[in-house]
Amino acid sequence: MTFRSSLARDCLIALIAFLVLAALPYIFPSRGFTDFLVRLAAFGIFATSLNLLVGYSGMESFGHGLYFGLGCYSFALIMQNFPVSIPVAFLLTIALSIVVALVVGAICVNLSEIYFAFLTLAFQMLLHSLIIAWTPITGGDQGLTGGVPRPPFLGIRLDDYYHVYLFSSGLLVVCLLAMYHIVQSPFGYTLRMIRDNAARAPFLGVNVFRVRLMAYVIAGAFGSVGGIIMSLFVSGAFPDFAYWTISGEAIFMLMLGGITVFLGPLFGATLFLVLNDVVTKLTTHYGIFLGGVILLFALGLRKGILDFVSDRLSDRRQSELTAASRTSSDAPGAKPAPAGE
Amino acid sequence: MTNRNRPGVGRRSVLKGAAAATAVAGFPFVSRAENKPIKMGMVTIQSGRFAMIGSSSSKGALMEIDKFNAAGGLNGRKIELIIRDSKGKPEEAARLAREFANSDGCEVIFDADSSAAAFAIQEVAKETGALTIHMNSETSSLTADPKLHVPTAFRSARQGIHDSIAGGSYAGEIAKQKKLNKWMGCSPDYAYGRDSNNLFFKYLKRNHKDAEVIGETWPKLAQPDYTEQLTKILQTKPQALYSCFWGGDLTAFIDQSSIYNLFAQMDVFAINVADYAILTAIKNLPKGIHSGSRYLATFPKTKENADWSAAYRAKFNNEFPLNWSWENSVGAQFVIEALRKTNSTDPKKLAEALKGASIDTPFGVGGKITMRGDDHTIVNYATGWGQTIQKDPYVPDVKAVDWKVILELEDEWKKEMKYT
Amino acid sequence: MDLSALGNCLISTSCLITQTTSGLIIGLLLFMVAAGVSLIFGVLKVVNFAHGTFYMLGAYFAYTAYQITDNYAVAVLAGGLGVAIFGLIFERLLISRVYGSPVLMQILVCYGVILILDDVVKLIWGPDFLSFGMPEAFRSLPIVFAGGVIPVFYLFLILVTLVIAALLGLLITRTRYGKIIRAAAVNPTMVSALGINTGVIYASVFVLGGLLAGLAGGLAAPVRSLTAGMGLAIVIESFIVTVIGGMGSVAGALVGSLLIGLVRSFGSIGFPLFTEGLMFLMMAVVLILKPSGLFGREGR
Repeated sequence: MTFRSSLARDCLIALIAFLVLAALPYIFPSRGFTDFLVRLAAFGIFATSLNLLVGYSGMESFGHGLYFGLGCYSFALIMQNFPVSIPVAFLLTIALSIVVALVVGAICVNLSEIYFAFLTLAFQMLLHSLIIAWTPITGGDQGLTGGVPRPPFLGIRLDDYYHVYLFSSGLLVVCLLAMYHIVQSPFGYTLRMIRDNAARAPFLGVNVFRVRLMAYVIAGAFGSVGGIIMSLFVSGAFPDFAYWTISGEAIFMLMLGGITVFLGPLFGATLFLVLNDVVTKLTTHYGIFLGGVILLFALGLRKGILDFVSDRLSDRRQSELTAASRTSSDAPGAKPAPAGE
Repeated sequence: MTNRNRPGVGRRSVLKGAAAATAVAGFPFVSRAENKPIKMGMVTIQSGRFAMIGSSSSKGALMEIDKFNAAGGLNGRKIELIIRDSKGKPEEAARLAREFANSDGCEVIFDADSSAAAFAIQEVAKETGALTIHMNSETSSLTADPKLHVPTAFRSARQGIHDSIAGGSYAGEIAKQKKLNKWMGCSPDYAYGRDSNNLFFKYLKRNHKDAEVIGETWPKLAQPDYTEQLTKILQTKPQALYSCFWGGDLTAFIDQSSIYNLFAQMDVFAINVADYAILTAIKNLPKGIHSGSRYLATFPKTKENADWSAAYRAKFNNEFPLNWSWENSVGAQFVIEALRKTNSTDPKKLAEALKGASIDTPFGVGGKITMRGDDHTIVNYATGWGQTIQKDPYVPDVKAVDWKVILELEDEWKKEMKYT
Repeated sequence: MDLSALGNCLISTSCLITQTTSGLIIGLLLFMVAAGVSLIFGVLKVVNFAHGTFYMLGAYFAYTAYQITDNYAVAVLAGGLGVAIFGLIFERLLISRVYGSPVLMQILVCYGVILILDDVVKLIWGPDFLSFGMPEAFRSLPIVFAGGVIPVFYLFLILVTLVIAALLGLLITRTRYGKIIRAAAVNPTMVSALGINTGVIYASVFVLGGLLAGLAGGLAAPVRSLTAGMGLAIVIESFIVTVIGGMGSVAGALVGSLLIGLVRSFGSIGFPLFTEGLMFLMMAVVLILKPSGLFGREGR
């Protein structure tokens, strides 16, 4: 299938998905449902953007929350302090994240695993310290109060919760589509090549630093979109969104859902949010339950659910193939190839 | 308010429809609707380092709610209190408040969370129109700032500005007597810490013109080691120190200060010491610390207060009531009395009933506390300052503060802040 | 920023003494926890994010032991031994299963354990914060030395932690066991080829790390308030120390900890509002200039 026609096909799928999402509140009229989906949009985009680094580039960032927090605070602060429209604020926020990602990425991307992880975390915590200390601008530990002004644009009124829902669902679909095409493009395959064998890549003419930096910047830009949605949802910003725990939760979502399947992070985000909400409703022993589930996944399954499913499917396909080749083979003593991992 | 002509029929119309349908069908369901519980949702912190907030808040509220239910409730309808843990995250607190209002059918939201969460929950109150009582937040701007005002939101906790005026006037007296002119502040670096510190010194200087702040140090909230702050204080050599540390931070600070023998070298005014969590936890409480009364069973020195404290301890495994306990009790009591007065759970009607309401309570001056009508916050609660001794009653002599002075200066402060 | 205050302090003996001692205190307690983190990473290549929980448990075990026996030494030992045993269980039951797994899986296991234990601690010891109480022996006036003030308890802590650091150093450099774990850090396959049970070695490193963290928890308890989640601050600082000092190097952990301690203590005079940021900045600088840390091995 050519690239162009697969893009057309994917756009169609995306459009259908959006229409389904838009219709859902008529089937499930509860406000809780739309609230859940808005949160899911924010975290789904955020987790998928992190997977661009973890799953597709082999860059294990502990500090991706930097962009979530940056996106949330920048968007809210721009809207509160400058008389611009929402699309303009949106673009300015993305631009800011790109600039920050360029600087941070240039410093970090060539470091090896553990050091990359720690340095990204250090930068995130620097932002967090800045947010807490700069109280007159950011509100400090109380978070940004006063709400986020929402002047209407293009007929969209974001002070109406259904419009916020549509806006978030639309962003979710568009961002996932965009990220999917990035990873399916030649650039995406170069990333995977670097992930699998960074030593060999330069021999093939690949500028590893440039490719990694680009991946890091793209991931940062999309990560901040998640932050923008969250800022609309909570009508402000909280320092928690830049704290290391948000990076930890995103990693948990990746591990829950899977990192080799594109929709793994979205699935993981859904699971995580459901788990969080249900456990909070049912018990005060949140830590024990959530911690228990985490251990079950990390020690039992040891890979995300969608990874598990896709591995099972490919194992089955492999054994079907070898079974088929075995029945058609006449050579005595021919041994079937073992099912590949 | 949110636009109502959106998809989603809304809980109330669904219930009305269901009630109508069942009335027609003649199910026994209808007659039992009278005894359907009145649901109230409490958002609080039940895990992590501030878990005692949730523990004491829920118990304080239950003192009143269980009493009300035992007396038959509202025409047989009892209050069902649902308590959920925000884990200290303001966005989670907002989500839970929204869930209570939109999905769980709660008539009242009790915000027993941190002051950061209170602002987030105030937004939810604005959006949903649910009756919301802030039981713990002491940040004055929550009710003082007219831009944040929400008609169905109220506060049943003490206010930072009141405490600072009270503290400044008490300390001013002592400073004048003992000629304490050189002062230092050491409080945690976050909104409450900064406000409390700055306002205390403002009112101290008003009462004692010669007082001068010669230094300040700002540790982080939940910072484990205060050595760097303590050595700075010892080097600056003030005559008196103000601190609004609370909870675990306060006990760590007191323990660490003691080994530096700090309390012998200066007068210490630590507003949050007179709280049983601190008083019973610290093994060697230094004597002579000036503290504001958070909650003491002996202040007000009335039988009602002593009885309430005894009943609380009997009901809850001999635990001591804390500041959050009485604030939550008062909040619950206000709502209960409004319920009784209006015989309805409509948030607008309840809000009307709450404005200007007064309740009979052991925690008020002269046995009464009033919910002010214009800014929806309580006044006339018992508050005072005194010095610590090393055993029960810990602060034997509490000087009650004159509410006339507090209200006058609060008015002035509001004008300065351009709130009025 | 208050550079003049900082300058004044550096030329004043009393200030120098007071601030240096306070830097030593902060640094040495931090060292006890960071050394464990560094060892575990160096030998096992495991990022033990749950090390703060070890420290917290040490403080709680010590608290209960002190309530029962009223003897500080026993309490501290109880803290250390209790967490040593816990470290063993933790390694055998949980960590050993994720040795080959990606780092993020290991982090997740630690995160799960942290969540569970914070709740367990709340269930057993209650939601209120606890205060240990200063043992009788240390309730005397602080020592004044050339104008500087040093509390007796802190002097005791400095001595004890220096002794422990020295013992640890001897263990690593002079004993057969130390040689084995240093070898296992460089080439585990060779070590097992020599007939040494690597499983036992790995478990023992966790026991050692747990012992150190537990002792630190118990030693610091009289000047801390005990609460769930108290391990968090120290684990973040421990990681900063290990990065600066070099993963796997105990000497590096000592230098890194003392550096952090002194930066905190003098930094709070010169840069009172940015001390946190200063530490992260230091970590960032080291990672950029020499990623393996001051004493770390290249190519890790």
